[in-house]
Amino acid sequence: MKNEERIIISNRILTKKKLYEEKKQFRKERAKLSFEEKIKILVDLQKLAYSWGKKKDIIIWKL
Amino acid sequence: MKKVIEVMNELKEKGLIKDYAVGGAIAALRWVEPFFTQDLDIFVILEKEANKQGLIILSPIYEYLKNKGYIWEKHWIIIEGVPVDIFPADILEKKAIEEATEIEYEGIKTKVMTPEYLIALFLRANREKDKRKIQMLLDQTEINIKKLSKILTDHGLKERFIKFQRRYYEK
Repeated sequence: MKNEERIIISNRILTKKKLYEEKKQFRKERAKLSFEEKIKILVDLQKLAYSWGKKKDIIIWKL
Repeated sequence: MKKVIEVMNELKEKGLIKDYAVGGAIAALRWVEPFFTQDLDIFVILEKEANKQGLIILSPIYEYLKNKGYIWEKHWIIIEGVPVDIFPADILEKKAIEEATEIEYEGIKTKVMTPEYLIALFLRANREKDKRKIQMLLDQTEINIKKLSKILTDHGLKERFIKFQRRYYEK
């Protein structure tokens, strides 16, 4: 099965299934960040979209 | 962001609005991992409902904000560098405001719509970007299924939610 293919990450060997589970858990953990921290990350994402994504019409929030 | 909340609280104190809550992507951001967005949607319950002609008058709010020096850019009003959309609430949004969670942002009190109401509102909007947010809410935060089910039933969205679940969660 595709999900049982294994991937080497650093010194760990993971199945795809395990990798997806870890990613899901990681997202749940990030969802627990404080609202203030999330807004700071959002502003960083806006800066990235402006500079890398060449989206010059983006308004970068002032905190 | 802090300034926007202060301004919204000010509108409430001055009696220009009855109540408000943060909705849309920023409200979702309160409950899920950070993702890109750029506008702040705020839903308001007005002191005065629509007039006899059925017109909802937001002018006093915008006049007040204009007098404070805030400018318009595209469809947003820019409050201290943050593009804000202010929407007069309809029936479902009013319920979402009334039952919104009170939180503090940098020490200032505000209200943010709950995941259950956000799911209902995103489901109603039904754009691809809204569906993605529903998935994030379902996957990353605690949902009160009983409460969600009641909201969906009360607002005629149950069938659409079942279809959504079939499409995204059934293998």
